[in-house]
Amino acid sequence: MRGVPWLELTILAPLCGALLGLVLQRAVAVLALVSSLSTAVASAGVAVLVARHGTIRRSVGAWELPLGIQLRADGLAALVLVAFAVVGVFITAYAMVHFEPGSRAARSFFPLWLFAWTGLDALLLSSDVFNLYVTLELTTLTSVGLVATGGDPAALSSALRYLLFAMAGSLLYLLGVALLYGAHGVLDLDLLGAVVTRGPVTWGALALITCGLALKAPLFPLHGWLPAAYASAPVPVSALLSGVVGKCSLYVLVRIWLGVFGVPLGRAPAVLIGVLGAAGVLWASIVACRQQRLKLLVAYSSIAQLGTIFLVFPLMGRAAFAGGAYLVISHACAAAAMFIAAGTIEQVVGHDEIDRLDGLAHRLPLTFVAFALAGVSAMGMPPSGGFVAKWLLVRTAFELHEWWWAAVILIGGLLSAAYVFRVLRGAFVPAPITETIRRSRASDLLALGLALLALALGLAPDLPLALAAQGAPS
Amino acid sequence: MPPWLAYAASGVSLFAVGMSALVLHGEVMRKILAANVSASGVFLVLVALARRAPKGPPDPVPHALVLTGIVVSVSATALALALVRQLRHGAQLGPSDERRR
Amino acid sequence: MIPPIDLLLATALPLIAWRVLATDELPTSVVLFIAFGLLSALAWARLDAPDVALVEAAVGTGLTGALLMSSLRSMERPRPPSPWRARAIALVAAAIAVALASVVALLPRGALGLGPAVLARSEESGVAQPVTAVLMNFRGHDTHLEMLVLLAASIGVLSIQHGTASHGVDTAPTSSVVMMLVELIVPALVVLAGYLVWRGSRAPGGAFQAGAILAGGAVLLLLTRRMAPLSLERQMVRMFLFAGPVLFFLVAAVPLGFGGDMLEYPRGWGGSLILGLESALTLSIATILTMFFPQGAPAPRRRG
Repeated sequence: MRGVPWLELTILAPLCGALLGLVLQRAVAVLALVSSLSTAVASAGVAVLVARHGTIRRSVGAWELPLGIQLRADGLAALVLVAFAVVGVFITAYAMVHFEPGSRAARSFFPLWLFAWTGLDALLLSSDVFNLYVTLELTTLTSVGLVATGGDPAALSSALRYLLFAMAGSLLYLLGVALLYGAHGVLDLDLLGAVVTRGPVTWGALALITCGLALKAPLFPLHGWLPAAYASAPVPVSALLSGVVGKCSLYVLVRIWLGVFGVPLGRAPAVLIGVLGAAGVLWASIVACRQQRLKLLVAYSSIAQLGTIFLVFPLMGRAAFAGGAYLVISHACAAAAMFIAAGTIEQVVGHDEIDRLDGLAHRLPLTFVAFALAGVSAMGMPPSGGFVAKWLLVRTAFELHEWWWAAVILIGGLLSAAYVFRVLRGAFVPAPITETIRRSRASDLLALGLALLALALGLAPDLPLALAAQGAPS
Repeated sequence: MPPWLAYAASGVSLFAVGMSALVLHGEVMRKILAANVSASGVFLVLVALARRAPKGPPDPVPHALVLTGIVVSVSATALALALVRQLRHGAQLGPSDERRR
Repeated sequence: MIPPIDLLLATALPLIAWRVLATDELPTSVVLFIAFGLLSALAWARLDAPDVALVEAAVGTGLTGALLMSSLRSMERPRPPSPWRARAIALVAAAIAVALASVVALLPRGALGLGPAVLARSEESGVAQPVTAVLMNFRGHDTHLEMLVLLAASIGVLSIQHGTASHGVDTAPTSSVVMMLVELIVPALVVLAGYLVWRGSRAPGGAFQAGAILAGGAVLLLLTRRMAPLSLERQMVRMFLFAGPVLFFLVAAVPLGFGGDMLEYPRGWGGSLILGLESALTLSIATILTMFFPQGAPAPRRRG
């Protein structure tokens, strides 16, 4: 007896929207909104299913393993699926406000975004190591296309840089997959996990796959493409990349480590990743403090947050895993909110230079409140999702008697407080109101909504954490 | 040495040559060529692995994987070249726009 | 003992690749790249991979090579990298290559992977050719996503190129010999493409090969100005472009409505569904590959 095929629907709903949006170009924005809402509903369906029944497995094409490809939804996948879907709905709504209706940018943005979402959901649910490659390619190439919708030379050249890094990363990953298949003759993650043993082949595959995904995630110091891409892309694209789509490679890395490599190879490589992540946190936070432009600041903040998520590797354990998942979804909300706020500011005053934002908070109160609330989550202050996540990670670090990871997280939080306050300090200076500003309320409300979500995650962590725990490793 | 191993080693060499050129050279077109060469290397490894049994039909799964890979590769290349052309076009129109790496 | 031709090919390929990337002049590099591709096709043939050889020759070498050529507008001034940097990177790369090659040598010999499973069940898949069975049935999910990758890339390319009128391929006026050749070749290509799609269920062939060959014909027509540039405004172009993805979507979604899995083919219908799907995909792939080429009126030639 089969119920509603929620898993497949999360993949097919955005795809349907993308195809319809290409055929009926005039209605593309509305179709995108409908599609995003349907995907959110389907994602919720998956979450309910997983909450009730534990890990769900579906085959594609009714072929059993090892011949076919399987879809698999455990707690982590379901949680991330739902969170990304909710953020996706917000960003779709913001894009409807941001782009001129019927403009060329809108007609490219929505289909590309929906294709990216298709790839994203297929990636979150995939249980096959080569299928993950194809889904990664789909999300990456659509991301490049999305960055390039900016059209100006800065956007195009940063898109090109991103593409070249991504091509290198994909090839490294694919060679790793070739080694795995050559050694074990299967491509399914669960089957691989059962047969992989310690040895030079496994080390080789691990190194290749990890380096490949590190280029795309990105992991310090391979992050060179990211700041320019996030800063020069159109605002909805930056929100998408930093919040949602940009997390894919990290997710795949976690999946493969947990599913295939984690047990046989011990802790040393995980510690290396943790060290690089820590370096990323510290370096990116310091650089963020010195930024002149708001969008670049938020971009570097994203690198720092990603670095924090990488700390899950050395701290591997149930609590740290939950903390990492929570950081992923909180940052999705917070980063999107920050970028939307930055975008509103840029649209209103024509620039995003931090030193010239004096007094702006009085003219754009909601925008800066949204930025501040999102900043609370980025800093990891209570009550926010960021706080819950970092607290789980810090606690695990102390339980393992490795307090230095905790130190990195706390220093990172302090530095992010520094740069968030730097932005807010100038803006809240009293200044005479020179003229009223006409702008759309909608973008402020959307940013505020996302920031409040990030806070809400901190106020009600039980349900999401329980979901993440379904099928999580101990 | 069985033939498949020679081809697999060749594929690994191609992969390394391509990757090093990708990192080393500054011109974008050369980087794109390097990525394609590297991809050919990975594909060669996969197809070589399919031919490990000396007799009988080869393993069709790596062949299918390579076919998928070739298509993905050409998509990425086409996207990269479109970006290059557009950047060059912009540079020709406006001398102040410098094409970056 | 390894046959000499295999040893020769295996050694030649990396050497030619090195020449491709080390040559100062880009047009020479591209031509060498095409030669490299042809040698690779030979390697695929030696490894009993005719499907891959076909696709590599048509797409990987032919279309990619042509795309690269069409993007070589002005001569790029070569910026030779510093010799120390070059040596350092070469050293690291060589070390990595040796390490990887030794890892590969440790792989189990004679292991067959999923091959036997595929060959045992290929009857059920509805096609006799095992590679087609894997691509279109067992791992149809991969092919579906890959089709979306192509489509998304073409949307990206169109979005990047839009708004620039002068984006055509540089062509000199074509001689009558070339025109005659084109008139002979293109219809043959169309027939060949159709044959490949039809034969794909029993022998090497299929949507990608056929689509690439059709695209080759279309590009020939574009270059000799026998065909107007493809634009999404034209109804025919849109139909061809969306035929594959839309049909694939339906084949994926409809079984869900009947309580089946995504992409589950009804028993006994596998062969016909695959043929229909491949035909639609051929049209879409051909359209997309053609659209990867710069369309529109060519820009005036610029020097340097």
